[in-house]
Amino acid sequence: MEVRVNGNTHEVDVSADMPLLWVLRDELGITGPKYGCGIAQCGACTVHVDGVAVRSCQLAVGDLAGGEVLTIEGLGTPDTLHAVQEAWIEHQVAQCGYCQSGQIMQAAALLDRTPAPSDDVIDAVMSGNLCRCGTYPRIRAAVKTAATKLQEV
Amino acid sequence: MKKIILFGALLGVATFALAEDAAVIDPPMEGSVTVQQGLDAWSRIHDVVSHPRCANCHTGPSDRPMWSGPSFGAPRQHGMNIRAGESRMGLEYLQCSSCHTTKDENWDNANAMPHAAPRVAMGWALAPMEAHWFGRTAEQICAQLRDPEQNGGRDMIELAEHLNHDLILHWAWAPGGGREPAPYSLQEHVDDLLDWGVAGMPCPQD
Ligand code: FES
Ligand code: FES
Repeated sequence: MEVRVNGNTHEVDVSADMPLLWVLRDELGITGPKYGCGIAQCGACTVHVDGVAVRSCQLAVGDLAGGEVLTIEGLGTPDTLHAVQEAWIEHQVAQCGYCQSGQIMQAAALLDRTPAPSDDVIDAVMSGNLCRCGTYPRIRAAVKTAATKLQEV
Repeated sequence: MKKIILFGALLGVATFALAEDAAVIDPPMEGSVTVQQGLDAWSRIHDVVSHPRCANCHTGPSDRPMWSGPSFGAPRQHGMNIRAGESRMGLEYLQCSSCHTTKDENWDNANAMPHAAPRVAMGWALAPMEAHWFGRTAEQICAQLRDPEQNGGRDMIELAEHLNHDLILHWAWAPGGGREPAPYSLQEHVDDLLDWGVAGMPCPQD
């Protein structure tokens, strides 16, 4: 079947119930999305499907139904970072980094929909993304910085 | 069926596809169900609507789904600070469908994994605010269900049809993942609703 990821079309020969995360990591070698739990409890595998944040461990590749997948590899480039990535570097958010691709993808989806989120909204949206290193205060600050950056452009 | 779903998706509206396991809507003759039989039917309806598989997402004015039932210990709010918002689908916060992804209608072991987010062949959502079951008594829920102002203006046939079209609700009887299903069956629940309706929608407090 065909899968669209980061603007490219890939042909994969997998069963329709394989989680998208497996397809990305094991079939396509796109390893930005991380495996944390496999049961929607941690958010490490978050990608966008047609602009909506989705836990890729919970979406069967057959249920993509032609949707456009965006992973952190396609969010920005080293030369033109996404505002969320810039803010993450400025705030030095990451500690071990394992959860961070999911955090960044979730934050980018949040700001697409809610350009100037309150603390309450940030907490509600980001609470499904766990960080075992406890970088939460920096995540919240970086989301605000990214929101300001996006409003300036 | 695929066409209906696709059409719904194109319109960007909630899609209600009739599932293959839909119940038969065959109401008994007018006058054939006594008030006592209607009350017995109501008591079984209450067993269903107060069951965690149903009540957890019928939280009324609160936009927080609940976690309760045999596998959860004391009832508590859905983890991860989940808010369904006014949209009841999490559009203002995190969409329910970010985790409760929408599955193909023919994929029947999609919920085999314990503790994973249940998925059905329609967008996951909290029930509308008026349909408030969680923490309410049988009397309160009964009064709500027979009041057109609070039940979406539905008569008994429309209530039964609504049950038939809502695939999240069908999931309640086949939740998978070691979760306890709602009692009885969809067909028995629809039959009870029709009996209750023909008996004049009696409530225990009447
Ligand atoms: S790996 Fe998908 S939510 Fe944890
Ligand atoms: S930075 Fe280590 S898990 Fe989040």
